[in-house]
Amino acid sequence: MLEALGLCKTFGALRVTNDVSFSLEKGERRVILGPNGAGKTTLFNLLVGELEPTAGTVQLNGDDVTRAGVEARAQMGLARSYQKNNLFDQLTVRENLALAVATATGKSAWFRKDTLKDAEINRIIVDVAAQVALSDHLDLAVESAPYGVRRQLEVGLALATGPSVLLMDEPTSGVGPEMIKAFHTLLKTLPENLTMLIIEHDMDLALDVADRVTVLNYGEVVFEGTPDETRSSPLVEEIYLGGWDSHA
Amino acid sequence: MFYQTKTKSAALAFLVISGIIYAIFTGYFGREMVIEAAILAILAMSLDMVAGYGGMVSLCHGAIFGLGAYIFGILTAMLGLSPFLALPIAISVTALFGFAVGGVTSKTSGIFFIMTTLAFGQMVYVIIFDARSLGGDDGMSGIPRMDLSLIGLDMNDSLTFGIFVILAAALVYLLIAAILRAGFGRSLVGLRSNETRMRALGMAIWKYKATSFAISGGIAGLAGALAAQHTMFISPSMLVWTVSGEALVVVILGGLGTLIGPAFGAVLFVFLKHEVSEFTNYWHLIVGTVLIITVVMGNKGIYGQLEHMIDNWLHKKQGRISLAKEDNHA
Ligand SMILES: Nc1ncnc2c1ncn2[C@@H]1O[C@H](COP(=O)(O)OP(=O)(O)OP(=O)(O)O)[C@@H](O)[C@H]1O
Ligand SMILES: [Mg+2]
Repeated sequence: MLEALGLCKTFGALRVTNDVSFSLEKGERRVILGPNGAGKTTLFNLLVGELEPTAGTVQLNGDDVTRAGVEARAQMGLARSYQKNNLFDQLTVRENLALAVATATGKSAWFRKDTLKDAEINRIIVDVAAQVALSDHLDLAVESAPYGVRRQLEVGLALATGPSVLLMDEPTSGVGPEMIKAFHTLLKTLPENLTMLIIEHDMDLALDVADRVTVLNYGEVVFEGTPDETRSSPLVEEIYLGGWDSHA
Repeated sequence: MFYQTKTKSAALAFLVISGIIYAIFTGYFGREMVIEAAILAILAMSLDMVAGYGGMVSLCHGAIFGLGAYIFGILTAMLGLSPFLALPIAISVTALFGFAVGGVTSKTSGIFFIMTTLAFGQMVYVIIFDARSLGGDDGMSGIPRMDLSLIGLDMNDSLTFGIFVILAAALVYLLIAAILRAGFGRSLVGLRSNETRMRALGMAIWKYKATSFAISGGIAGLAGALAAQHTMFISPSMLVWTVSGEALVVVILGGLGTLIGPAFGAVLFVFLKHEVSEFTNYWHLIVGTVLIITVVMGNKGIYGQLEHMIDNWLHKKQGRISLAKEDNHA
């Protein structure tokens, strides 16, 4: 589904991504672990096309998309959520979701019909809102919504495009244990054929949902394995106990 | 986002009806003002579509306006084409020009966007100013109005032409309102709000920017072609960049991102221009003062402020029952 081959990225003299390769099978859930500044977000930016790699390629469904724009990859079914909320602040939760659904379904180019009155769009909005526990907050203006609501909308926007590959950058960052639990449940209930790559600091959640784990350190893949192998890996433990940021 | 609220519908009806009544009972001079205001309203609404909803503050709408006037003038006065053919051609050419501006500038933002649109506008101005065959600085006269005598209307009568232009402005409002309510317009607002996220959701930004600028440009071109028919004379002064500046002032005065507000702004602007200049040459000073007051008072513009007050009042009256959603934020 999604494949990285020898991805490298340097900012000036700083090597942030160093020869990263991995391949996601259809329906695979992979968690990326790594300390602050390990290059996790940068890797996401390379995968979705917000950054261009210094070397290496990205493949999506077998096509080389290394030179394809962000929007082209999104149209191919690649969606991402951001580490820092990146929403349409002046609009309501419903309007936010409507933009995502309309764009993904090609209805954003409609010249005559009101997308907010479209039955299919509204059905998807209601579905997604239920998934990310936003059903009661649909008419809240995002800029005045509580952080938790905005955090859920961040993932909701990505989900609303109906992706086949979903990249989530620390979806639970800054939220309380209750919401982490709810998010855990959400991950368990998403369709099995949805391929997911998740950057997650919460170890319990990460190792429970993951099929495979990739650990990044200083831009390099230093470990790859199953959750069990991760738990028993001395290397991971060393990095982990070496004081990386975790609320686990 | 754009919502056709009851307040907006009432405001539109008020403008159209009071405009027509005023045109009927006033004299020739008053009708000239009505026509000028209606044409300026069309230009201002076209600008509000891209600036207020798409976040693209254009400084070339004056040039597009002038371009529409010149295309119409060239085709009718010089080439003898029927105004009925010349009008759609003028609209198409200005729309095409708008598409080019919107496409080329789609990767720029902020001050760079504004400066690039200014450069496009100056380009058109210089070309027309330098063209000896178009009369250069002296302009071009003898531009005909559309002949509607077949349906019994004499367009050379200022009242008939005035009502025609008012209705044209109302139609333009309805057209833009429909586009802003449709998927396209909603995406435009999303684009203004967060371009990065729109791309991440899969939107090909440049197409939307170019298309919205094309629609806006075509409407500005229509305003220009109507202005050419109104005065029956055109000159490069129609394309000077200060015309774009004035249009922007009108939009902000009336209420950026309210669509009907700029129409109010146009009425106020034309009124101040003619009435105040009776007493003093410093009418720009008065306009400037009014502009500063509206901006300081919360940047909603005259209409935006009014709508805000009316909606608050209705809210109070109806207790906590919420009205149709307001769109102060779009
Ligand atoms: N645009 C940029 N220009 C220069 N340096 C950058 C840029 N983006 C990221 N970096 C640097 O690259 C390194 C990796 O950053 P990145 O955000 O990918 O880390 P991360 O693993 O996501 O960290 P965190 O856990 O804090 O989110 C950091 O040292 C960061 O300062
Ligand atoms: Mg990060």
